[in-house]
Amino acid sequence: MPPAAADAPADSSVLFRSRVLFLTGKGGTGKTTLGAAIGRLAAAQGRRTLVCELDAQRSSLTAIFGKAPVYQPSQVAPGLSICNIEWMPALDDWLADIVGAGRIVRMIMKNRMISIFLEATPGARDLMLLHRVVKLSQQFDLVIVDMPASGNAVGMLSVVGTSRRLFDTGPIRRCAEEIDGMFARPDTNLVLVALPEEMVVNETLETRARVHAEIPALRQPLVLLNRATPATLSAGERSLLDQLGAQELGVDARELVEAGRWEERLETATAEALSRLRAIAAVVVLPVLARGEGAARVVGQLTAALARQSHAKVDLVGEASG
Amino acid sequence: MNDDSPLTDLARTQRLLVCVGSGGVGKTTTAASVALWAALRGRRVLVLTIDPARRLANSLGLNEIGNMEVRIPLERLLGDADGPAFEPVAGGELWAMMLDPKSTLDDVIGKVSKDEATRDAIFANRIYRSIAGSFSGSQEYMATERLYDVYGSGRYDMIVLDTPPVKNALDFLEAPGRLARFLDRQVMKWFLTPYEEEPAFGKRLMLGTSAVVYRLLGHIFGREFLKELSIFFTLFRDLYDGMRERHEAVSRIFGDSRTTFVVVSAPNEPSVDVASFFLQELKGRTLRVGAIVVNQLHRARLVNPDVDALLGRKARELEPLLAPLVLARLGAAHRRLRDLAALERQWITRLAAYAPSVPMIEVDRQPGEVHDLAGLLSLHRWLFPG
Repeated sequence: MPPAAADAPADSSVLFRSRVLFLTGKGGTGKTTLGAAIGRLAAAQGRRTLVCELDAQRSSLTAIFGKAPVYQPSQVAPGLSICNIEWMPALDDWLADIVGAGRIVRMIMKNRMISIFLEATPGARDLMLLHRVVKLSQQFDLVIVDMPASGNAVGMLSVVGTSRRLFDTGPIRRCAEEIDGMFARPDTNLVLVALPEEMVVNETLETRARVHAEIPALRQPLVLLNRATPATLSAGERSLLDQLGAQELGVDARELVEAGRWEERLETATAEALSRLRAIAAVVVLPVLARGEGAARVVGQLTAALARQSHAKVDLVGEASG
Repeated sequence: MNDDSPLTDLARTQRLLVCVGSGGVGKTTTAASVALWAALRGRRVLVLTIDPARRLANSLGLNEIGNMEVRIPLERLLGDADGPAFEPVAGGELWAMMLDPKSTLDDVIGKVSKDEATRDAIFANRIYRSIAGSFSGSQEYMATERLYDVYGSGRYDMIVLDTPPVKNALDFLEAPGRLARFLDRQVMKWFLTPYEEEPAFGKRLMLGTSAVVYRLLGHIFGREFLKELSIFFTLFRDLYDGMRERHEAVSRIFGDSRTTFVVVSAPNEPSVDVASFFLQELKGRTLRVGAIVVNQLHRARLVNPDVDALLGRKARELEPLLAPLVLARLGAAHRRLRDLAALERQWITRLAAYAPSVPMIEVDRQPGEVHDLAGLLSLHRWLFPG
């Protein structure tokens, strides 16, 4: 049975009182950008913050921070660090943890069989990566974990339960228990990033159900609805738009009316997404931003939008224009 | 025929078209639309898809997953006002098969096990059970398995493979290899030796590094686990060759001269990122890319349109009170659309630069979701212009 706290609904404040945030979502929803924005906001609030990727082959953080993350956290702004938890050094660290650093560990690492074996052993890789998150969460006030896209992320998180079933005793068992302990903490939270599109909402709902079933220790997730177009058109305005659309129009006038109807459809899609998502989770709505001005600039705008959403009192002037 | 779309030639001649790209870019829709085009021109075509949008699946008659090939009656379309404006070529057939997105390693094992006893022993193994639930890539593996089956069946002139949305690699190409690597002979041999029961092999002399390494493994994983793993590997030993063979056969199909890849993208950063990665990977493997399809394109032709001159009078006639508000909204919406279109153009330019020699096809965003045959047909004016 999940602890009672797991049933308490999340709200946007979890973003700012968590110690560990796992971010996931369907590919292309902007979770990396959002993770970076949350990181900047938390750092601006004076929290020592780390944004990390898990064994990313091509880091998405590089474009945002102008610096490629490596295994060891490196600072990119005051109070803000980034890293990429690569599997081999994570394994190295874990082995050093259980057998002591030094000659033996180096010998193990040199033995190809061991690494192939561990890599092939179900879940060992995921366990090592998550175990490193446990360690990092002891060094930072907030660790934001940029997970793989939702399907893979749930598989990765559920490895902990699988390992507990598979290993009755021993270091792997203890490793899984430590990770599970982190999941169960009230300041560990899952954030699902969604878009106001039917397929994305479907996947968000599925992910939420899978997390609930497979990783019961984790609290109900918070959903960030990215690139939303909040409803502003009144019924009368919509009706006038429809009437205009039904008229005989020239090509130019038609293009204008179609632009209006396009925006109207976006509003409808956002409203539909919101009503479906709110049925399962608290939702923070992030409006569409002017895009295409560089990753760092988008993060700045998102940071400001998040600050407004959370009523966080931070001076973002310098941040947003970076 | 120079005016023909690059897809025209591909859809007429190829045996396999593989649509790749990130999720949500209209891969399934594109695959189904190309298949429909070819079927209407007399070819027997199968679309092999994974997890399409529900409404599209329903309208194609794919209500049930379970890897069944379903014939899609084109007659429905022909009687329709939105149907094709020409007489379809006789003999054409459109089939679709939806891969079970929950297909598991069990299916793979069931296929390659030499007998039922081996299969059941594997299914009962605790280690296997834990892998089967979470083995990543089994979906991709099943896609290639199914492809291998239907490709060899001779029932189709062309197969259009709609690949699962994968982000970082050609996972569906890699999956069989990864599974095979997992069962790497050397690794198995090494771990089997200490528990090998046959006296002929004798026991490995546990000396030096091996002894330390083995003791450590015992320490890390527990002796029980290692014993179970050794049984697991023993069971899997015979499966390895079968899996490698199939993997090689599928690799040959992908490399065949009548196989072409079509990269599908949307005009935004994440999809272009994935698409360019695919282009690079496919080039690296010397696999042929025949076209790049960019879907979901927004267009705005006008620059600073005079909203009032164009629509003011009409709007005031209809709703004098609301007209000023709505006119202002239209101007703002058009500016937003225009910004978006300009941004998308940048992403398209960037994508084109990755593969300058590959022809690109642009498809406008459809006002609603494409969810039926008529919708698929309506895409032909973009996919197959001329």
